Amino acid sequence: MRLFDLPTALLALLASSNVVSATHTSNWAVLVSTSKFWFNYRHMANTLSLYRTVKRLGIPDSQIILMLPDDMACNPRNSFAGSVFNDKSRQLDLYDDKGTLEHMAGMGGIEVDYRGNEVTVENFIRLLTDRWPASHPTSKRLMTDDRSNILIYMTGHGGNEFLKFQDSEEISSFDLADAFEQMWEKKRYHEMLFMIDTCQANTMYPAFYTPNIIATGSSAKDQSSYSHHADQDVGVAVIDRWTYYNLEFLETRLNSTSADVRLGELFDYYTFDRVHSDAGVRYDLFPGGEGAARDRRVLDFFGSVQGVETDISHGTDANDWKKDLESLKQIWERQEEAVKESNKTQVVKQGQSEATIKPAKNSRSALDMAQKGDDWVKKAAGLGSLVVLGAAWLASSALAKSA
Amino acid sequence: MEVKDGEAEATKAAAELSPEKPATIWARRLIIAAFWLVVVCLGLPHWIWTTSIQRSDLPLDSMNAWAEGKACQLHYPLHIGLTAPDLDPEHATSFASDLEALLNGHQSFRLHHFHVQTEHSSNDTPGPKQVLNVVLNTASAPKTPQATLQSWGPILNADHQVGRPEDLKQVATFLASQISNIFEDESAALWHLIKDTPFANGVQPLALSPEKSSALDRRMTRAFKYAPAYHLTFSMFTPGAAPSAWDIDKALEEYISPLLRPLSSISDFTIDTQVQLFASFSPSIAGPAFNAEKNHWTLHYGDLTGFVNAAEWPLSPSIGEGPTINFVLYVPSQEKKPLLIDENDGSSWIIPQWGGVQIHNAPSAQPHNLTLDDLRPDMLIFADQLAGLLGVPPSPPSLSLRMSSLTRERATGLILSASSTLGALSRLTLKLTSIAIPDSVAKSVDETLHRLDQACTNLRDGHFQLALENARIAETEVEKAFFEPSMVGQVYFPEEHKVAVYVPLLGPMAVPLIMSGIKELKKLRERKQKAA
Repeated sequence: MRLFDLPTALLALLASSNVVSATHTSNWAVLVSTSKFWFNYRHMANTLSLYRTVKRLGIPDSQIILMLPDDMACNPRNSFAGSVFNDKSRQLDLYDDKGTLEHMAGMGGIEVDYRGNEVTVENFIRLLTDRWPASHPTSKRLMTDDRSNILIYMTGHGGNEFLKFQDSEEISSFDLADAFEQMWEKKRYHEMLFMIDTCQANTMYPAFYTPNIIATGSSAKDQSSYSHHADQDVGVAVIDRWTYYNLEFLETRLNSTSADVRLGELFDYYTFDRVHSDAGVRYDLFPGGEGAARDRRVLDFFGSVQGVETDISHGTDANDWKKDLESLKQIWERQEEAVKESNKTQVVKQGQSEATIKPAKNSRSALDMAQKGDDWVKKAAGLGSLVVLGAAWLASSALAKSA
Repeated sequence: MEVKDGEAEATKAAAELSPEKPATIWARRLIIAAFWLVVVCLGLPHWIWTTSIQRSDLPLDSMNAWAEGKACQLHYPLHIGLTAPDLDPEHATSFASDLEALLNGHQSFRLHHFHVQTEHSSNDTPGPKQVLNVVLNTASAPKTPQATLQSWGPILNADHQVGRPEDLKQVATFLASQISNIFEDESAALWHLIKDTPFANGVQPLALSPEKSSALDRRMTRAFKYAPAYHLTFSMFTPGAAPSAWDIDKALEEYISPLLRPLSSISDFTIDTQVQLFASFSPSIAGPAFNAEKNHWTLHYGDLTGFVNAAEWPLSPSIGEGPTINFVLYVPSQEKKPLLIDENDGSSWIIPQWGGVQIHNAPSAQPHNLTLDDLRPDMLIFADQLAGLLGVPPSPPSLSLRMSSLTRERATGLILSASSTLGALSRLTLKLTSIAIPDSVAKSVDETLHRLDQACTNLRDGHFQLALENARIAETEVEKAFFEPSMVGQVYFPEEHKVAVYVPLLGPMAVPLIMSGIKELKKLRERKQKAA
């Protein structure tokens, strides 16, 4: 037994060295495009390109939250119906990647979690803070914990300290900072990489005040963030510069899930010559500051670096397990018999309750906030007070006339 | 002509403007005052009322007391029953107190406190359940002392020769070392849980060796976070058309259910199974390679993370409530068999907090149905992986003792996590002053505090199962309070926004109101000065 343990202990050590280097156990990505309409084609292409990259590097679809406010693939102006491209070569269909080569299957379609009118500031903040009615499906929630690394990528039209959502509302950097604070307090992330590609993007992150965040943006205050190139046949710009060079780096440098590339190299890739604006990075929230943040592996955020434990040590105690399980079963049978006996003597007609494996409970009632009782009372009161004011006004004008 | 006349008359009239009649002055004053009255008495309260945020009072002090670990000193009394048929009651009692003193003096126990009771003393007081029964056999004992744990129950059988009464001291030392071996790992695990929390204040720190703490770290990382319900999915994947069936129901009944029954006091479990044919690997891994030297197919260690093809294999995480624990049985095709991991020739691995994978390398030709016998080794591995994934401690060797250890660890973990959530909630309510706090949050917080108090009392009394139940409810309630759906608002409005909203709305109304008010006041003062 002791002899057996030695090599396994060594192996465990080997395995653990791999696990220790990654202190997180899961990776999540939240990819948000915030603009509608055909001329914002590039924002959807930006987001889908990032989606494709994180999926390629191993984050499963269930851990990617994709928010797309518009569907360019089905836009009547799209001359390539059902496709979205991020390059004028149109080699890669981001919307439904069927694969370019005969023998290699493509990545397939995309899974959109929030689309159209669901992409709102409220839903985005709810997603981050996980404050949902009980009826909200699990697949649309960010189920992270204190061991999760999160990549947040946002693109759209922004300005000084805000990002526009859907032409109708905007999220301010202070709201975002408060949402991150709530996540941190509830231990909903381990480390976070926040990326944003909008005009004046760098103004979005100075308001953050919670630790373990690395933030990077495409352009400084009062600077525009430019598109990279347009496709004459699609008719609009297909990708933004900053995202384009992010992708170029990720595609050329991270060919496999074992590539050892550091974040610093990625950040150094954003030169003014390439991006045509001053990309910024904020390191000070990260423990260890700039050095530690730049030394993080890119795959800590873009890939799914799960540790794996090969458990051959237990191969030797399979017999022990068998014995344990058999004895457990015996205990159970004995208890069952005892219960039966007592049932017989007491002539209880109660059926045998064998269902220790209970079905999942659905008892929590769905909570629709619009239909909560208090709100109706409030609304009625508000309406009543408005009516009273209106009546007072009418009465006064009637009095004025009669006078 | 007439126009000219009119103009002249008008200028004349203006020049000769007689002082206003007091009645007109009073009427004007009344009108202005009436407007101001409406604004101040009706408009202002209305505005305050409609824009105010409901904030229920939370018991911040007790919440902080829990978060800072001051509300409860974690303490685990372990009651051990001693049965010594060969000793007379008097000796047995003194032996028990010797043993108790030895155990409580042991340096690896900071949180545990042992109470050893003989059968004679424990009969009259129906105290808490005994976590361990020691049966001491001294009559027909072999020369070398030995102790064995029963696998089916918390019973330690010990044999030790006792020639003279002084030998009892030796027996006590022997038993104390045996018992401390049993609970040493639990003590380390509990310390590991609380050491970075405020609950560790006032507890003498327990020194853990680096190997031990890294092993504990790995165990905690591997296990799922506590959830009231788990879903187990057993899936068989094969690259070809066979096998297309497996006797999974029988196998589960035989090997998984016995493990789940005792665990169901901690969480609920649901199970489903599936078979997927023609399953291909994901293109991102290199795939199996043939190793001519060892004459089998090998998988590289780096490929193990990508082995499960998340994009194509239907392992949905969103079935029902609670997290899904996945178990994947992969049956390689006939020509790529046996398939083993390159580094250690094993065939199974655990993906922490996700599930377990096992490659089925039966030497026989590919059958269409995997029978119970075929599945036996795989199911034993799955049972082991399940125990690991649920956080069942790997020692001591008796499963029932491991379960009761798990009960204490889970109860502790839940108390810690509920307390930390209470702290987070109290800090947030102070920090985010514009967030609404509905009554339901206050109610849930009260319930949490009540349940935490009870759980703490239960722990101190040694009712660990009750403590776990109370801690479970506390955790559920505090999560409900923290994640209250109506506590979301766009909290922050910049000053520019406020100006932009209020100026067009109030500006046209406010300017004449304020101007006429000031004018009237000025006139009033002038008149007073004149009068004076």
